[in-house]
Amino acid sequence: MILHIAKKEMLEMRKDGRFQVASAIILTLLCVSLGIGWQQYLTVSRQHEQARAQTREQWLTQGKKNPHSAAHYGVYAFKPKSPLSLVDRGADQYTGVAVWLEAHKQNEFKYKPARDANTLSRFGDLTASGVLQLLIPLLIILMSFSAFAGEREQGTLRLLLSMGVPREKLATGKALGVAGGLGMLLGPSALIGSAALVLASDTGAFAANLPRLGWMTVSYLLYFTAFIGISLAVSALAKSARLALVCLLGFWIFNGLAAPRLFSDLSRTMHRTPSSFAFTQRMDEELKKGFDEAQFKEKVLAQYKVTKVDELPVNYSGLSLKAGEEHGNEVYDRLYGELWDTFEAQNRMQQQGGIVAPMMSIRSISMGLSGTDFAQFRDFSVAAEKYRRMFIEVMNEDITHAPKGDGSRMGDDALWAKVPAFEYNAPQTGTVLAQQAWSLGLLVAWAAGASLAAGWAATQRLKAE
Amino acid sequence: MIATIARQEWRLLKADRALAAVVALMALLVGYSLYNGSAWVAFQKQTLRAADREQGSRLTKLITNLRGIEDGRIQPKGSQDPRSAGSIGGTTAAPYLAMPPAPLATLAIGQSDLYPYYFKLNLRSKQAILANDEIENPTNLLAGRFDLAFVLVYLFPLVVLALGYNMISAEREQGTLALALSQPVTIRELVTGKIVLRGALLLALVVVFTLAGAMLTGVDFSLPTVWLRLGLWMALMTLYTGFWFGLAVIVNSFGTSSATNALTLAGAWLALVLVAPSVANLVATSAYPVPSRVEMVQAMRVAGKEAQSKGSTLLSRYMEDHPELVPEGEKPQADFASLTYAVQMEVDHKVQPILDRFDGQVSRQQEFVDHFRFLSPAILAQSAINDLAGTSLGRYQHFSRQVDRFFDSWKSYFLPKVFQRVKLSSSDVSGFPEYRYSEEADSDIVGRVAVALTGLAALTALSLGAGFWRLKKRALQVQ
Repeated sequence: MILHIAKKEMLEMRKDGRFQVASAIILTLLCVSLGIGWQQYLTVSRQHEQARAQTREQWLTQGKKNPHSAAHYGVYAFKPKSPLSLVDRGADQYTGVAVWLEAHKQNEFKYKPARDANTLSRFGDLTASGVLQLLIPLLIILMSFSAFAGEREQGTLRLLLSMGVPREKLATGKALGVAGGLGMLLGPSALIGSAALVLASDTGAFAANLPRLGWMTVSYLLYFTAFIGISLAVSALAKSARLALVCLLGFWIFNGLAAPRLFSDLSRTMHRTPSSFAFTQRMDEELKKGFDEAQFKEKVLAQYKVTKVDELPVNYSGLSLKAGEEHGNEVYDRLYGELWDTFEAQNRMQQQGGIVAPMMSIRSISMGLSGTDFAQFRDFSVAAEKYRRMFIEVMNEDITHAPKGDGSRMGDDALWAKVPAFEYNAPQTGTVLAQQAWSLGLLVAWAAGASLAAGWAATQRLKAE
Repeated sequence: MIATIARQEWRLLKADRALAAVVALMALLVGYSLYNGSAWVAFQKQTLRAADREQGSRLTKLITNLRGIEDGRIQPKGSQDPRSAGSIGGTTAAPYLAMPPAPLATLAIGQSDLYPYYFKLNLRSKQAILANDEIENPTNLLAGRFDLAFVLVYLFPLVVLALGYNMISAEREQGTLALALSQPVTIRELVTGKIVLRGALLLALVVVFTLAGAMLTGVDFSLPTVWLRLGLWMALMTLYTGFWFGLAVIVNSFGTSSATNALTLAGAWLALVLVAPSVANLVATSAYPVPSRVEMVQAMRVAGKEAQSKGSTLLSRYMEDHPELVPEGEKPQADFASLTYAVQMEVDHKVQPILDRFDGQVSRQQEFVDHFRFLSPAILAQSAINDLAGTSLGRYQHFSRQVDRFFDSWKSYFLPKVFQRVKLSSSDVSGFPEYRYSEEADSDIVGRVAVALTGLAALTALSLGAGFWRLKKRALQVQ
């Protein structure tokens, strides 16, 4: 019985010209965006790979130089692009791509791609995630707004019910029909997406990204389920198909267009971001105060039980540099930590916006699993900073333990090679899922709640007339 | 006759609860978005004031210091002489170059959250100055802002369509269309009456709410440019409203049911407002890909390394070219400051072609995109609103050109003094180059907006024209 209803729904959809056109457009957009995402991923990762090799080469072959000059010369770290960014570019366009790692200073990431983009980019990039988050729900609404209300207006609902078709079976059949129609559309694109992912990554990376892809699929299915449930519930409750459509479109606009902006404004009001000016001022002040050179010298002399710097068994300049770094690091950890915590508090609040708009949940999960959200940008920044501290430490150690009195001590290739290349591993899927627990929970609640609502509306509230 | 229809329509609308809902909704949306816009403007102004204060106190301190040294009260100590041109031009007297928010900035946040609105000058590279950014959570930048432009470009068309999607179909469904057309009135007059009333109503709402909001958020109405901009902005909104009504007429002329009309119009809105811009963006970025910043960073580094390695050669060559800069009674020789700047100049020189290539590609892409504007009224409206609010790429480029020019004059004042190792005195401070932001000329803004307005007028004429043409051509089913 249920299958009969589902089949009839799918048959109707297939015959409906509007559905055909809409599906064809959406399928095209999805395929094009996946293709472009794939191409962009390849280009950017190739550039980053080259740059990474180049910056390493520059470090290793910088020639004879004072180790502290080498620390000032530093290296660049380039944020790698994750393979799944071909599905969801997330915040990638709005985070800097390169950071200079040098002595004394934790620099900010520079060069946001969005600043070099044309003015259209603010209308939104055409990405697979955009199609999945915005256009597919619209298609679901178009497919299902008249499921009950339309049948009632045509008088076929009374006929069905008088034939003794159980309401719950009718509702399940309708839901399956919509899901089946969607499946016809999404099945091929899922295959294309996976193929693109396989082509985009070498086999190891693909296997590593498989769990992420799996969770992403589950999340999007939950999101679609929520929309099918909502649409059917509204269709059963609404007096007319027109009213159902208006209500559903209203919700769609709120969910997809207004909610992201509203919650980002709201979170910004609740957790204020300092201006770059105030942040830099505070950073300068904090760096200036706190480290007292004279005091430090006394301490070192006392520690080694000597009276003059010349009598120290090690080079004082290395110790002083190291102490200066440590003071700076403490300030950077505190201030950047505070700033990034603010961003994360804002993002958490936006995740909680998923209570009223499932878009907020799916957007967050999708970005997270694609590795393009702020949390993973922060993870990379922290890793790069850790690397900076490590290689500065190696330089300062060398200065400290150089033969005494060799003021013009030069580092050479052997010293540079002591610093290993910068390797970064993206967080495990488990870490990402833990960050997205709120969103996942909300999405499950939406899917379950909307399905229950549809069942309830169809069995308890559906009027034949 | 049209006036009679409009009066009748007004009576009908007044009795309908939908009107109250539309008024309330518009008030809410416009109010909230203007609040957001003014919060952003206030944030920028506050930051600029703080920067101004900091610059003032830094300068006062510098003058006190210089006077102290001149009086002999203070002995310059340490490696950095506070009188040296490098230290003064590079740090202690380095000004902030600001672009204050334009008078109507509260109307559209536009691109202003992406581009810097002030730079702190130094004597080193332009790149180091330009890379400065306002701090912002990338997730928020991704979402965009809920500003008036968002309400007007994205949501307002939906209100227009909600009022217009069943202009004819509802009359037919209620059976009143036949009745109305049995009177001495043509279908065109009927539709005109409906559009004129609804359009005038919506525009009045937009204008009243926006002016009220602008007054509340402290827009300075005494400036003539404000009135010019507001006038253009109203012309823009009239055309934009007309376009969407025209679309509603076209769809209504097919004689389909109200539900079908609603679906078709929603589809058209989606295609024009959401899909067309992102497809155009995709085509533009594929046709004119912007070269990678990562490659640029590397190229700059290579240039820097080369320049560094032959720093002293560079300096002596520079001194040979500029013998007037060699300090009197000395042989050309390297001190740290001169060396640094000589290297920097060489790096700038080397990097310039890379930067030019980069900027060239970005502006070629933008030019290409500018052609695409005419495909979608939403893009045209957004670009014009950004220009009127002064939050467009155009105004940022105007600002960044001024920064370039000032940076050059700042360098040409200080760098020769660095090489000559001149010690500056407190009386020199008043002679430093002074920066003042000069606003874009109204004619420039009008020029840019006029292009968008013309495009929009063409699209509106097209949609209204096609709609009314179809009304005549097709003998409309009245039942």
